[in-house]
Amino acid sequence: MSDKDDTETPVVTEATSLLEDGNSEPAKNSESVDQSTKPESKPEPIVSTRKRPEPKPSTDLETSEVLSVQASQAAGKETVSRDEPQTGWGYWGRWGKSLLSSASATVATVGQGISNVIEKAETSLGIPSPSEISTEDQCATGETDANENGNSSTMIGPFGVFSTISTAVQSTGKSVISGGLDALEFIGKKTMDVIAEGDPGFKRTKGLMNRNSTLSQVLREAKEKEEQWTSNEVTMDTDKKTHYGLLFDEFQGLSHLEALEMLSRESEIKVKSILSSLSGEELETLKLELEQLKEAFSLAEFCEEEEEEKKGDEDFTKEITELFSQLHVSSKPEKLARARNTAYEWIRTSLAKPSEEKGGGEKQLEGEKTEQLNKNSVEDIHAFAIRSLAELTACSIELFHKTAALVLHGRKQKVTAIERSRTLSQMTVVLCKELSSLSKEFTTCLTTAGVKEKADILNPLITAVFLEASNSASYIQDAFQLLLPVLEISLIENKTELPEA
Amino acid sequence: MEAIWLYQFRLIVIGDSTVGKSCLIRRFTEGRFAQVSDPTVGVDFFSRLVEIEPGKRIKLQIWDTAGQERFRSITRAYYRNSVGGLLLFDITNRRSFQNVHEWLEETKVHVQPYQIVFVLVGHKCDLDTQRQVTRHEAEKLAAAYGMKYIETSARDAINVEKAFTDLTRDIYELVKRGDITIQEGWEGVKSGFVPNVVHSSEEVVKSERRCLC
Repeated sequence: MSDKDDTETPVVTEATSLLEDGNSEPAKNSESVDQSTKPESKPEPIVSTRKRPEPKPSTDLETSEVLSVQASQAAGKETVSRDEPQTGWGYWGRWGKSLLSSASATVATVGQGISNVIEKAETSLGIPSPSEISTEDQCATGETDANENGNSSTMIGPFGVFSTISTAVQSTGKSVISGGLDALEFIGKKTMDVIAEGDPGFKRTKGLMNRNSTLSQVLREAKEKEEQWTSNEVTMDTDKKTHYGLLFDEFQGLSHLEALEMLSRESEIKVKSILSSLSGEELETLKLELEQLKEAFSLAEFCEEEEEEKKGDEDFTKEITELFSQLHVSSKPEKLARARNTAYEWIRTSLAKPSEEKGGGEKQLEGEKTEQLNKNSVEDIHAFAIRSLAELTACSIELFHKTAALVLHGRKQKVTAIERSRTLSQMTVVLCKELSSLSKEFTTCLTTAGVKEKADILNPLITAVFLEASNSASYIQDAFQLLLPVLEISLIENKTELPEA
Repeated sequence: MEAIWLYQFRLIVIGDSTVGKSCLIRRFTEGRFAQVSDPTVGVDFFSRLVEIEPGKRIKLQIWDTAGQERFRSITRAYYRNSVGGLLLFDITNRRSFQNVHEWLEETKVHVQPYQIVFVLVGHKCDLDTQRQVTRHEAEKLAAAYGMKYIETSARDAINVEKAFTDLTRDIYELVKRGDITIQEGWEGVKSGFVPNVVHSSEEVVKSERRCLC
């Protein structure tokens, strides 16, 4: 369903927004609905709602009535999200999602998905200004030229990335959407060559296009390919550092994902059998409640405001810890927070170096630290970025896995399944945002360190970081969706007071 | 971590709650002893490479299971795909020793049609003064089930390497003899990648990458 996002032609925003408003009305969610869809503020809606597509299996238990509602919701979702300027993760996440759920996607769709992102990366490199593009949005051919130039000619100084990155992220969404897909396809094809050259992750996304399999299967295959690939390399040690799939596995992300999938599958089967054993009013009530639960899973909001990104370290840790305590499960996100803080610490010291250099030679003798930092090549930064993304993602999925285990087998808590779902949904947003800002920090590092590098060295590295960050966000979002059946069974068990399995 | 290994073995670590399963694994994989640790939730994952002969590395994927009864339905699911296991009891806790029998029965039911090569581990052997299980009776029990017996301490790093590598060697021998075979749909043993075999696949990958749309 979501795969169509990038191929369909834009539809007028207002009509579709209304459609969506009408459908996602239920009172409890009104807060977020209010925030997310305001057709009147059309020129510059900052907030965008990203409605998650249905998780692949698990729709069987819907009545056809429900299904049709969802279908129209989905229709609303697609058109709306396409027309709204996508801020940061709304856009990234959706792109990643379109790759992941692409069992049925045509290659062209995926190609465009990728090209959008590349375009973003390209744009953020300071080539065609996003605002230029969006003003020209009626003239698709003109844009082709502009972008083509941007793509093939040399880039503006790498600091361009640094300064335009935030605006690019904010506004590219729109320019991409209104800009004519032909142009993008062209750029996409060109740039994919570049990516494929240096990015093992690309193999993975390619894998994703072809198969109808679970996320962990896809990732496992990708990892195995990467393993095969690296085992053949002489410079294996350095090479492995940039293989996201291998690193993700090294941090046990794959195992936790599989474990989560297992719990999800078991719960799904249980939910189905319980539903089939019910009838009449009992069944209707339960279905209604499950529907509410599902809504909590589809309302992940990506309202990324630029200022928010500049918050301090403690805030993320605090936020995620707080959300966790709301879940009332006994596990704690310490590992995740630690991994995240390590990454930021690294970035901070890494960024400290160039400014010191600028300040004159005297400060350079700040000790071993600086000494060591001077060795941070763009390759080092890239490797560390990919590693950090893999680690954070693995930690996030571990948390989801533990949460699932505790929701299913933990001690009874007062918190309801719906409350937990909302918290988890919020947590997903926080995590994805965190990946977004982390990837931006890393690309800042890259551009700062790579002042003297040529564009054809720097660009693929930057693109790779964005690509893996986007993939990471998709994995987290998919892992989040795996929790739905788990919370469904939890809801049913609380309701019927079944003894715990 | 090196990417080249001959085989990957999945090992499961089971035993009563608080016998020290996680600490043993952490000592083995991280080389340190964690003074305090929360009870394991469901199942946890670790991995490490072991060199059994010069140049021959085995990748161990270690499944750390929760000892608590309430997670039993989760941990059960992991027996089937394990080739080896460490069955732990705490030498200062007689009850945990008495439960060894039950653990073995439980795995037997859930591992079919496969088999797990177990080693019986008497843990916390640094606390010898509080010992409630003699080495002799533990050895007797192990022999009765055809297992090896070893006493370990995660705190003092006694026999931790040995417990894992001996088990790995035993499994490796069985694999070499063909008593254990790699099977489709079973994750217990997987073949790794040997450098020179892969040469052709590089070209495959390369041409794949060229064909993008």
